[in-house]
Amino acid sequence: MKSRGRFLWIFVVVFGLFCIVPLLTKNTFFLRIATEALMWIGLAITWDVLAGYTGYLNFGHGAFFGIGAYTTAILMTKAHWFFFPSAFVGGMIAGLVALLAGFPTLRLYGAYFAIATWALGRAFQQLALVLDITGGPDGMRLPTFLNPVFFFYTMLIFVGGLFLILWFLLERAPFGLKLKAIREDEEGAMAIGLNPARVKVMAFIVSAIPAGIIGGIYAYWITYINPASTLGDLVTDQAVVMAVFGGLGTLIGPTIGAALIYAFKTYFWAYLSQYQVLYLVILGAAIAASVVFLPDGLWGAFVSRQEGRKALKKGLALKKEKRA
Amino acid sequence: MSEAILKIENVSKVFGGLRAVDQVSFEIEKGEIVGLIGPNGAGKTTLFNVISGYYAPTEGSITFQGRAISGFPPYRLAREGIGRTFQIVKPFAGLTVLENVVIASFLKYPRMADAEKNAERILDFTGLIDKKDESAQGLTLAGRKRLEISKALALEPSLLLLDEVVAGLNPTEADKTIELILKVRDQGVTILIVEHIMRVIMNISDRVVVLNYGQKIAEGKPGEVAKNPTVIEAYLGEAQA
Repeated sequence: MKSRGRFLWIFVVVFGLFCIVPLLTKNTFFLRIATEALMWIGLAITWDVLAGYTGYLNFGHGAFFGIGAYTTAILMTKAHWFFFPSAFVGGMIAGLVALLAGFPTLRLYGAYFAIATWALGRAFQQLALVLDITGGPDGMRLPTFLNPVFFFYTMLIFVGGLFLILWFLLERAPFGLKLKAIREDEEGAMAIGLNPARVKVMAFIVSAIPAGIIGGIYAYWITYINPASTLGDLVTDQAVVMAVFGGLGTLIGPTIGAALIYAFKTYFWAYLSQYQVLYLVILGAAIAASVVFLPDGLWGAFVSRQEGRKALKKGLALKKEKRA
Repeated sequence: MSEAILKIENVSKVFGGLRAVDQVSFEIEKGEIVGLIGPNGAGKTTLFNVISGYYAPTEGSITFQGRAISGFPPYRLAREGIGRTFQIVKPFAGLTVLENVVIASFLKYPRMADAEKNAERILDFTGLIDKKDESAQGLTLAGRKRLEISKALALEPSLLLLDEVVAGLNPTEADKTIELILKVRDQGVTILIVEHIMRVIMNISDRVVVLNYGQKIAEGKPGEVAKNPTVIEAYLGEAQA
């Protein structure tokens, strides 16, 4: 509980630093990068709710992002709604899909759940490809609103608020402990009165709603969406890689992972574009190396090291061991 | 010693062709400690899993405090007031001892602060309070079995099902656990205990139910059951096999 004050301080400082970015630079390229970095942080931490805290690997996270993006696009172009209510409804629909998809799929374990969610993602991509209302493979154009500062702050406030809410929900409130209990031992959790299906579906919804809203913000920001850009494998895969690289089940890990991997990717594409083919190769090698050498991710490794040092200083054996 | 808190009537559990539990009936009265014994594979743990909702009974009915509870899922039984421990302990390994018991306390105390207070009270009672900030997987076997009991107690159950909480402990640890079980009983909790170690069962049980090949072969006071020829045969027969 001691870390609470320090955590809030770090959060306020980082958030404050982000807030002054648009005052320091008028460079739209840089603002765009910062906005997208925030977006990936949001997707990585929402994915972590289910994967890190509950232990279920969702390979269809991109579907929620896409559902939010398409809902926003449809409401804004066909029903002429304003942006904020559209994005909000996009999040709610993503949550509703999680509710409906969660009941059957969250009864599955391990790889079966991963495959089921992957199929869910594919199904929604197909749906967007064949439906008229989504524009099929041509995608959809949204009303243009070219204001990078607006989108930067929208994304910053949403992802920052999301981080705080998730932190409170998962690290301070009973909900987080219930999720961890299910991750550690589902049968044991049942014996102490937890209904695993219910708790897991709630986690799925908590993970899906913000992903949908982020999709909505993305759609309005980029102004053009299509099935590949919002419902393709890449959305899920990047979020997964970022969260795993940073360290699951901590919120902080996925945040760091998203920032680092996104920075690496951008740097590569902007300055080393002649070596583009190498990007996925290097990324793949880095991921493989991190899985082998840092199984708890960057943040997990850092925390273990700190704890080890503290314990050595006190001359005691390690108290809080990380799971193998 | 009046009304039955748990009534088991003609309960069977069949796995394929195997009748793991076969037409078993017995009652447990409020405030009693009932021992469930039998040779290896007699169906004790299966019966436990049926009573605690992990298996639905194939036949028969279970009544708890006057309510038919056959087929209720475990989390619902926990709410009804049945707590259980597992023979193969199931701590939430990555969490601390305190967190383990806090999660169990949410059932009765949904707020974090209240749940923490309750968990500390329980850990004080079970003697784990000094280890509350340690990781659950760092505990010794005795500690983990105590943690199992702590989690079950945090539900504030009226019936506690203990599955081999003494087996595997050294004599000192075993005595401490027995002391704890008696302390729990003195608080008014009814207990059904499965145990391999006869010394434990004979010392603490008010009554003993003996299973063999899924069937109840004897029931009564520990002293009487120990002299029962059918029971002796069941145990010696197993020893020869």
